[in-house]
This record gives sequence, C-alpha cells and structure tokens, in this order.
Amino acid sequence: MARNRFDVDEKLESFNVGHLRRSFVYIRQHSKVMLISLFFSAIAVICSLLTPKLVGYAVDNTIPNKDLRELFILAGGMVVLIGLNILFSYLRSKKMVVVGQQIVYDIRKDLFAHLQKLPFQYYDDRPHGKILVRIINYVNNVSDMLSNGIINFVLEIFNIIFILGFMFTTNVQLTLVVLAGVPVLVVVLVLLRPKQRRAWRAVNNKSSNLNAYLQESIDGTKITQSFTRQEKNAEIFDQLNTINQKTMMRAVRLSNLVPWFVDNISVIVVALMYLMGIAWTRPVVTFGVLVVMGDYAWKLWQPILNISNLYNNLINTLAYLERIFETMDEPVTVDDLPGAVEMKPIKGHVEFKDVTFSYDGQVNVLEHLNLDVKEGESVALVGPTGAGKTTIVNLISRFYNLTGGEILIDGMDISQVTLHSLRSQMGIMLQDSFIFAGSILDNIRYSKLDATMEEVKRACHTVCADEFIEEMKDGYNTQVQEKGSRLSQGQRQLIAFARTILRDPRILILDEATSSIDVKTEKQLQEGLQNMLKGRTSFIVAHRLSTIRNCDRIFYVSDKGVLESGSHEELMAKKGLYYQLYVSQLEGEDPAEAAG
Amino acid sequence: MQQLKWMWEQMKGFRKRYIFALLSTVVLQVMLLINPIISQKIVDDVVYQLPNQPDNLDGLIHTLVVLVSIMIGFTLLRTTVRYVSMVTYESCGQKFLYKVKKELYDKLQAQDMGFFSRRRTGDLMTCLTGDMEMGRHAISFISRGLLECFFLYVSTCVYMFSQNVVLTLSLIVFTPFLFLVMRAFSKTVGPRFRHLREKLSQLNSNAQENIEGNRVIRAFATEDYEMKKFDEKNREYQKANLQASMTWYRFFPAIEGLSQALSVSVLLVGGWFMMDGKISAGTFLAFNSLCWTLCQPMRMLGMLLNDAQRFLASINKVIELYYGQPDIQSKEDAVTQEEPFRGDISFKNVSVVLNGTKVLDSIDLDIKAGQTVAIMGTTGCGKTTLINCISRFVEISSGKLEIDGVDVRDYDLNTLRKNVGLASQDVFLFSDTVDGNIAYGNQQLTSEEVAQYARMSAVDFIDRMTDGFDTIIGERGTGLSGGQKQRIALARALAVQPPILILDDTTSALDLETEKFIQKSLRELSFPCTKIMVAQRISTTRHADLIVILEQGKILEKGSHQELLEKKGYYYDVYCLQNGVNREEGGEVNG
Repeated sequence: MARNRFDVDEKLESFNVGHLRRSFVYIRQHSKVMLISLFFSAIAVICSLLTPKLVGYAVDNTIPNKDLRELFILAGGMVVLIGLNILFSYLRSKKMVVVGQQIVYDIRKDLFAHLQKLPFQYYDDRPHGKILVRIINYVNNVSDMLSNGIINFVLEIFNIIFILGFMFTTNVQLTLVVLAGVPVLVVVLVLLRPKQRRAWRAVNNKSSNLNAYLQESIDGTKITQSFTRQEKNAEIFDQLNTINQKTMMRAVRLSNLVPWFVDNISVIVVALMYLMGIAWTRPVVTFGVLVVMGDYAWKLWQPILNISNLYNNLINTLAYLERIFETMDEPVTVDDLPGAVEMKPIKGHVEFKDVTFSYDGQVNVLEHLNLDVKEGESVALVGPTGAGKTTIVNLISRFYNLTGGEILIDGMDISQVTLHSLRSQMGIMLQDSFIFAGSILDNIRYSKLDATMEEVKRACHTVCADEFIEEMKDGYNTQVQEKGSRLSQGQRQLIAFARTILRDPRILILDEATSSIDVKTEKQLQEGLQNMLKGRTSFIVAHRLSTIRNCDRIFYVSDKGVLESGSHEELMAKKGLYYQLYVSQLEGEDPAEAAG
Repeated sequence: MQQLKWMWEQMKGFRKRYIFALLSTVVLQVMLLINPIISQKIVDDVVYQLPNQPDNLDGLIHTLVVLVSIMIGFTLLRTTVRYVSMVTYESCGQKFLYKVKKELYDKLQAQDMGFFSRRRTGDLMTCLTGDMEMGRHAISFISRGLLECFFLYVSTCVYMFSQNVVLTLSLIVFTPFLFLVMRAFSKTVGPRFRHLREKLSQLNSNAQENIEGNRVIRAFATEDYEMKKFDEKNREYQKANLQASMTWYRFFPAIEGLSQALSVSVLLVGGWFMMDGKISAGTFLAFNSLCWTLCQPMRMLGMLLNDAQRFLASINKVIELYYGQPDIQSKEDAVTQEEPFRGDISFKNVSVVLNGTKVLDSIDLDIKAGQTVAIMGTTGCGKTTLINCISRFVEISSGKLEIDGVDVRDYDLNTLRKNVGLASQDVFLFSDTVDGNIAYGNQQLTSEEVAQYARMSAVDFIDRMTDGFDTIIGERGTGLSGGQKQRIALARALAVQPPILILDDTTSALDLETEKFIQKSLRELSFPCTKIMVAQRISTTRHADLIVILEQGKILEKGSHQELLEKKGYYYDVYCLQNGVNREEGGEVNG
C-alpha cells in the first residue's frame, strides 16, 4: 500500500454493520445501569403525564365545588409528582453521564493499547495527525450516541407503542391511516441513507486531511519559514479548508432533509385521517373518536420525529465508529506468537542464518545474510548509506518480521520469544534521538523507570553528558520539549545515549549514536564506552572510523549482504573495501603510516 | 463582552447572512405559534360541528378540505423556512470555522521558534479543532437557542398579561430566582470547563507525543509505561468531563423545580381566581397550557448557559492564539528586495542570551561573499545558535549582524530567509513525494532540475525506490535513514539557489565517499554562494576559506586549515584524533 498523504482520503473497504454491533461490547457492561436508567426515565415520564390529570380533575370537580382545601391537596400532589419527576430525571441523567464517559474512556483505552502494538510501518505510512484525531476527536464524538442516544431511542419506542395501543383500541382504520405515513418515511430514509453515509464519511476524510496538514505544518514551521513557503502552504491549507467546509455543508443539507420529510409526512397523514374520518363518519367513526384520534395522531409523530433525529446522529456516529474499529482491526504484524516463551537472560550470542528481508515484499534489502557474533563481542557495521546497516540492527530487536531465514540469540529463535522479554534486555539507540516533554531526568530514566539518581548520573558520566546537564540552571530537572530549542542536537544525542546505557542492556545497539557529537567529546565518550562494552555484545553503526576502530570485528555491509568481515587490522591488511573507506578519511595522510 | 465582540468581528463578510438566520428564527417562532391555531380550527370548525350539523356533511367536508390544504401548505412553508434557517446557521458556523482557521494558520506560520518551544503541538491542535468547534456551536446553536427562548418567553408573557395581569405576575415572580440560580451555576461551571479544556489539551499532547515517539517506545519496550501514562490522562479527562457535567446536574433540580413550579402556581392561584369568578374556565385552561410554553425557555436557558460557559473557556484560547504576536517579525519599514543578496555577512560583537544563559558571547566574524566558512566546536557550544542568527530564527541580544551592510533586523523576514538556504541538523521532511520535498522552496522546478539537485546531493538511492521521485516519504521522513534524509534536505536547500547556504552538520550521517562527492558538488555550484557549514569532520572543513572554532559561545580559534593546524590548538587536536595520529608524534602536518 502506498503511503497516505494529507491530500489523500483514506479508503475504507465497505461498511460493516458489525461496527455497531461491536460497540455493544462497550455498552454491554453497563446494561444493568442502563436498564435502571430506563426504569427511572419511565417513572419520570409517568409522573409528568400524571400532572395534567390532576389539573383536569381540578377543573372538573374541585374548582366548580369551590373546595379550596382540595385544591391545596391537589397542588401538594402536584409538587410531589414534580419532585419525583425531577428526582428520577436527575438520577437517570447522572447515571448516564457516567456511562457515556466510561464508554469513551474504554474505547480510547483500547484504541490506544492497540496502537502500542502496531509496528513502525503503521506510523510511517500515514500522517500522524490522522492517527491523533481518531484517538481524541472521533472517540469524543461517539459518547452521546452510545449512552443517552440508546436510552432515548428505547424510550421513544415505548412511547410509540404506548400511543399506538391507545389508538388501536380507539379506532383501527384511522390508526392504519395515520401509520400509512411510516412506510413512506422509511422509503425516504432508505433512499437518503447511502447519500448521508457517503457525505459523513467524506466529512471525516476531509477533516482528517485538514488536521493532518495542520499538524505537519505546525511541526515543520521552521522549514517553511526558512524556505519562505508560507504562501504556498496557506494556499494548500485553504484548499483543504474549503473542501472541508463544502463537504460539511453537504452533509448538513442532507441531514436537515430528514426532519423536513417527517414533519410534512406527518401533516399529510393527519390531514388524511381527518378526511377519512369524516368520509367514514356515519358507519365507522363517531365525533368523539375523531377528536381523540386527532390528538393521538400528533402525539404519535413527535416520537417518530425524535427517532429520526436520533437516526441522523447515528449515521454520523457510525462514520466515526467505523474509523475507530478500523484502527483497532489494523493487523499487528509483529506480535508474540502463540506459545511464545520468555527470553531467558541474554548472554549475547547473536546469529543470523540465511536472513532475507524486504520492507515492501518486492525489493530485498538483505539476501541470505549470515552472521555469527559471539557473546561479548563488539561488532561494527560499516558501508555506504542505505546499504541496510540500520535494517540489520532493527532485525535483532525484531522490529520487523523476516522474509526468510532466522535470527538466533543464545540459540533461541527470536520470533519464538515474547517481544517484551526480548526488547527489554536490549539497549537500542536509534538514529533520531526523540526527546519527551518533561525533565532531562525523566528522559534518561525512560529506559529504566526505577533507576536511582546515582545510576542516572553514572550513565551520564559514561557518555560525557553530565557536564552540560549539571551546568544548566536546573540541572537534571531542566524541562525540555519534544521539539524544544533548549538542547542542541548533540546534547539530545547524549541524553538519548545515556538513556540507552542506563538500562544496562545485555545487547547494545548504537545506530549512529554519535553523529552529531563533536570529535573531542566523542573521544572522551569512547573511553567510557569501552569499559561499558566489556562483556556485552554490541552492534555499532557509524561512519566515523575513529568510532569503530576499537571494535572486535567489522562487517562491511553492501549489496544486500556482508562483503568483508574481520578486525580493523585484518581488513586493513586485506586492502579491500574497508581499506579504501578508511584511507579516504585520512585526508592526505600516508595510509601506511596511519594504519601502523 | 469582548469574546462576543471578537466573534462578531470574525463574522465580517457573512454578517448579513447571519442576521437573516436570526430573523428566520423569529419568523419560525411566530409560525410555531400559528401552527396550533390551524389544527385547533379544524377541530372547532369541522369536528365539533359534526354532531351539530349532521346534514351539512358536504359543507363540512368542503371546509375541512380547505383547512387541511392550508395546514399542509403552511407546514410545507414552515418546514422549508426551517430548513433554510438551519442550513443558513450551519453555513455561518462553517464560514466562521473556515475564516478563523485560515487566519490562525497564517498566524501559526508566522510564529517564531520561541513560541513553538512553549506550546506543544497537541495543545495547538486542540485549539484548532475542539476550541474552534465551540465557536461554531455558539454561532449555529447557542445563539439560536437563546433567541428562541427569549422570543418564546416574551411572546407568552405578553399574551398572558393581556389575559390576566395578576395571574401572570404570579408566574413570572419565579423568574428572578431562576436567574439567580443560573448566575451561580454559570460561575461554578466556568472554571470547570476551563479545567476540562486543559485536560483535553493534555490528553491530546500525550497521544501526539506517543505517536511521534513510537520508535523509541518500541525500542525500549515501554508500551506498558506509555499505557499507564495515557491512562492517567484519559482518567483525568474523564473526571474533568464528569465534574463539568455534574455541575449542571447539581443545579438541575433547582432550575427544573423553579420552572415546573409554574404549573403549581397556575393550579393554586388560577384555581382560586376561578372559584372567585375572576377568570373563566377558558382562561384557566389557556394559562395551564401556556405555562408549559413559559417554563420551556427557562429550563432551556440552563443548558444554553452551560454550553455558553464551555464556549467561553474555549474561545478565550482561540483569541489568545489569534492575537499572539511573534517576538521576531519584520519591522514596519523593513527592506524588501527582489535581487539576491551578494552574501557578505558580518558579526560585530554579537551576543545572544537565551533563557537567561549567554549562548553567544561577543562574536566578531567577517564573511565575504562567496567564501566558505566552517564552524566547529564542542556539543552545545553555540554553533547552531550562531547560524540561526543569520536567518533570524534567533534574535541577537546585543551587537550587530549585517548582511550586505544592512542589519538583519532591517530586512523583511521573507526577503532575508529567501536568500538563506538552510539544511538544518534536525532534518524535517514532509509527508510528500521526494520530488515535492526537494522542490519545497521552489515549486517552479522542472523534474529535470529536481533530478539535477538530487544528483548534486547524492540522492542516488531514489533509483532503488519503486516509485522513484514520486515515492511518498512518511511524515518527518520516517522510513528513510538519517543519511538519506540529510541528502534530501540538502537538495531542498540547493534547489532555491540561495546566495547564502547554511549547512548545519548536514552530512554527519553520511559515509565518507558520499560526503566527499557532496563537498565537490558544493565547490562547483553554478550560482554565487556564501557557504557556512557546521561540521565535525576535517574532511568537510579542510577546504574552507575560514574555520571558526567556538567554545562556550566564544570564538576560540579562527583561520584557515593550515593556520589552525600550525596553531596546534583545538583544531589540531581534532585533526589528530580523526586521523588516528597521536598528538605528540603527529608533528608533521601536510595540508
């Protein structure tokens, strides 16, 4: 699948009614509370229906009798009924707010948990803004429908049944006339539905596109400003903004058609009922029946109108639900296999056996690669950019599944162990040194949450990060931002480095760990690192040959495999690719002398 | 209120439409009052006449047909007006969203780095999504509701007064109490909504950071910790939401009680009046049904105030963003110029203080047009700050920084930045095609030119990608290696043919051969260019006209490769380190 961009709608294969059914998983656990709420609502409704009866009684009896005492009693009764009505409405609403928020909380939690399992690929393939709106905005949008919406729906249905019961007992023919509007309405709704669904889906897509572009623009402002591209960006944003507005209006126009139809259909059937009533007047309908039926007919269509409004919301909500569940269904490609076992404490023997790997299933990045790295060995990977060095180290932590072959650690196939037990024993320093918002201390401690201050300081000392941190006004408690300007790139790298070694990993992977660090600091750092590397297996990807000279073994990676391997001395003596690489750095030095 | 004034300000261009919408609400309310009159007429003139005029069936049917036709016609009219009204409201709301988002987008793009290091992306996103949405809600829902309430209340009161003054007074006596309750409610719920908004923003930031940091999280297998962290924010948000809603329910009994008390009042006072013969049974029944119409707006008002408070909490954030001015912006009379700069840069006693720390200290540096200058120094010594001063991403605190003899602060920002091509250290690519990324600063580029700049920057790995230059790069360049990103960033900077090119350690992740190739390309540029590069490697710096060594914000050494080697200072140390020469024995230096 091609990567998604801010201006590309995300495809959704087809609508699945199952989405609605699936959301019942979140509702079911509240069914008891919801039933109680329904019961409370019923009581509240009955109370509010009884109050007019009291007034009716007063008008017919109490007032003509001029019985002031009874009038007070009736008023008292009314206060009681109102009180009950308020009490039960209050209880119902309070319960349902809790349910609604709980549903939102649960869906969001599950969605987030699933996102934690998704591989790099998922995040690499789409603008991050599109993922974000799903977690936040979409989930917020479904709460009301899944809590109050359902209760109201059930109430309105009861309401309809109730009124219909009265109507049928009064006059069957006229009731049928009034009901004749319902199939018409259903036809209208069925005809409108596909259009509405498409419209709301489009609203989703367009607003998601807009948000994605917005977020990326916020993150990339510096680049935009330095290339003075604000105008062009504003133009793109304007297009997205305009489309967004238009699609929204389209959906709104469609949605507002529904009450228009309901109202007009209801008036027409009521009119029809009167006409039929008079036409049938002698044999079938009496005057009294017609009066009562007129009243009921209006009353029947009110809940129908309410339901159609709920229906509108439902269609809107479904558009969000399907996106949410789509994300939850996103396959976890790298996951614990059934029966995966815990990785035992790693000693550090790493083997690649006939490993073939491809990111997209088409072009192989590595082919039939064999490596055997002994316990405690430190290995450097060198070679041209894009040769697959990062890929090799990423495979050790099983960030991707192999296309062919296997990787063994201490003789254990890494695809057969749990991801957590595998990765938690490794220290991986990635190329981008991501910094979380928080203090420097939090950032370093990220790899080992229970590390003591002592340990943190030691790790920082090893990578020479302690100096600049301690120079800061707030030291380790200095607040830093994800994209903050307070830290230089090199300092970020040092913090990330400290974070990596803090967890005291059995296998250490350093991918361009020192590329932004100046040569002198790096030199100091190397000394600390050499001690640290003793007894640990380590993989180091670097371009600076000064960084890798000290490694036990050097692999020259190119052309989908390892072309040369051996110690620095061996490879220099071989006068092959590594030799050339090394010599090219020496800048006019006499290679023979430098090698010596 | 200033918030409403601001909203009205934003509605320029569709104010008439909005007034039309408001008027249509009034019309609709009137129609709603007329509606029952017609159905009542059917009952009175036809149905009730049935027993009286059993022989005049044809006449009654005729009347009925007429009345029914009026009813249907009127409903058609009413629902159509309502449709137009609703759509007009919504279109005003959407126009508001469109306009303000557009303006906020422009404001954000003009903000400086200081702003972005203070405000988290998730927070800004909250402002442009949730907060803006409340503005729309206010336009197309809250104001309409308030108008309906007001109209319904007033018209009912007027009608009631015309019927019986004392009885009416006995009903509206409750209103002041209701207002008191509402005021207390508003005051309580306001802060709750501000709190809720804060929690939403935190939730947003947390999720956003999690998405951005997904690689680190997988690498450290800290998914459980992340879930715990998110769960906390999710809980807090849920709690804040409940708190805000519960405030409404705390006041609900009082509001509901006061509005429903009206019907008790009608029963008691009206009943008593009727017993005394002060009012007729008809009036009593009319009051009884009208008190429902009167209490409806009163209870609606509570909910509307609830929404209004929520709106205020949100819109304040939007307004704050709207009026926020960047610290760094063009002067009023800034110099704009079309022709490219020559490229002379001179730092005169420049110092920069950031967050109370002196990052650059009395920098004096003269760079002639066309020169290549390399900047070197320990991590955090101020290299990036120094070059950020040139394109004014960082403002100098004292001293003078001139380009072609003009103070950088006197240039229009766009003029200045157009002339400075920057390939920054923290490579940011956009989720666009490779082609689109390279042509980011110069969209007029033909595909041949794009290919040419790509070649100059050794973006040769494109050939191995299935879609070539049309390959879409993930956001921030995810999926590419560090070296690949750097090369695309370099091509992007070269493509604008800048008179001043700044490379902030842009080749650090490249292998040496590629780097050499790029250095060669840079020496052979087809356009005049002053080059400033931050570098760690001697191979990068050795051909520079001038090498500057920074330490703790000060210039430590300055000179050519040869001069600095002879000086045997910092540069010499680095040179020895990189070439694996022992400092003591590496005496002979051949440039």
